Amino acid sequence: MIDPITARTWGYRLLFSALILLLAFFQMLPLGGQAGGLPGADLTVALTFAWVLRRPSYVPVPLLAVLFLFLDLLLQRPPGLGAALMIGATEMLRSRRDMSRAMPFPFEWALVSAVMAGMVALEQIALGIVVVDRPPLGLALLRSLFTAAAYPFVVVLSHYGFGVRAAAPNEADALGRRL
Amino acid sequence: MAQNRNHSDIDYVRPVRRIFVGGLVLFCLAIFLIWRIDSPRVERFRANLVDTVVPSFEWASVPLAHFAGMLEDFQSYQRIYQQNQDLRRELQQMKAWKEAAVQLEQQNAKLLALNSVRLDPKLTSVSGVVVADSGSPFRQSVLLNVGEHDGVKDGWATMDGLGLVGRIAGVGKTTSRVLLLTDAASRMPVTILPSGQRAILAGDNTAAPALDFIEDLDAIKPGDRVVSSGDGGVFPSGMLVGQLALGPDGRFRVWLAADYERLEFLRVLRSHKGEVITDPGGLVVPPQPTPEPVPDETAEASEAPEPGND
Repeated sequence: MIDPITARTWGYRLLFSALILLLAFFQMLPLGGQAGGLPGADLTVALTFAWVLRRPSYVPVPLLAVLFLFLDLLLQRPPGLGAALMIGATEMLRSRRDMSRAMPFPFEWALVSAVMAGMVALEQIALGIVVVDRPPLGLALLRSLFTAAAYPFVVVLSHYGFGVRAAAPNEADALGRRL
Repeated sequence: MAQNRNHSDIDYVRPVRRIFVGGLVLFCLAIFLIWRIDSPRVERFRANLVDTVVPSFEWASVPLAHFAGMLEDFQSYQRIYQQNQDLRRELQQMKAWKEAAVQLEQQNAKLLALNSVRLDPKLTSVSGVVVADSGSPFRQSVLLNVGEHDGVKDGWATMDGLGLVGRIAGVGKTTSRVLLLTDAASRMPVTILPSGQRAILAGDNTAAPALDFIEDLDAIKPGDRVVSSGDGGVFPSGMLVGQLALGPDGRFRVWLAADYERLEFLRVLRSHKGEVITDPGGLVVPPQPTPEPVPDETAEASEAPEPGND
């Protein structure tokens, strides 16, 4: 018999994977995204960050690694780099979670935006080191800016739409540890 | 007691977890490095992965894209009166062009008949439906639903009804990726008509790719036609690419003739390997007599005079 807490955790993990894959599907729709237009927000990143800061147990590292490696391959990005950056960024946010649980939303927002900018910088540096064509810096920063702008909406949607909220101080996981 | 167990738990779990995460990051970076070092193999793996994944949602993506197109069309009803006027005016111009075209066609047919020219047999094509985009704002490519199964090969040119769109880069069993001319990795040799200047069309992730290596800037002007030159043997020559325009930054750019906002059906042009000349002498010098028949000829030659002598 599966206890309800474990069942819920796995349910949310499935939901997370489905949402990420759905977002990738919508990105790949052949709607004629004109070259030279403004890059849209990368909602997969915003969703992941929002969930990591609220319920890290719903987005375990292996799941993130598999999903983002798959997205890298599917969306014609340098394979592996995006996944590595994503793991690094979420690990950083995870370790800051105890701090950020107490902090008001504007600070969390600023933290997330800073992490996104850092990811862009690291990606540019990594691509520069191995001499690969890299996306123009301005456009890449603009994309992370849009992502940061979309972050509050993603948070609100996950909070009210999917019920992903920060754990209350008295909640515990299946083994009785504090969340 | 419980406190104690918790502590020992954390002591074991934390370092193991850290090693695990570090290993995962290293694994991802290793994949990245392998991709950098041995790109074709990883790209082939990527093509195969896309090939297995994408057709499974083709049933959803094609109708959704159509639906979005219908919505756009519906929005354009608002400007329907003005569009009607524009279309009438354009139709007038088109009639004039049609007259010219008909005359030219007749003339052309006569000249061809006189010459008995055989048109290029290379230009047969496979048509495919666009099933997916690249999904990234920094990569300009689309995925077609034809692949190795239909005989598509890497490097073949692709066009929509009017102009060139790009080349095949990556073939799976039932899908193939078209690298658009607007992608930052796309380079293509072109000729600017009517001056005949050669140049390289270099995509730079904008809607109008730039022209590099133009010999004589004075010989060309905005509005000139740009066609593929066929240099390098990748693209067939003389395919329409677009119209020359002067960008705001002072560089010459090309307005592409293909409708990039709505790529639905694309034609992949079969092109066969050009003949490679391996033996330079074989072409220039007429065929040499082989040594074998020589004794026969001399024998005949020596026999021939004998009856004459007798």
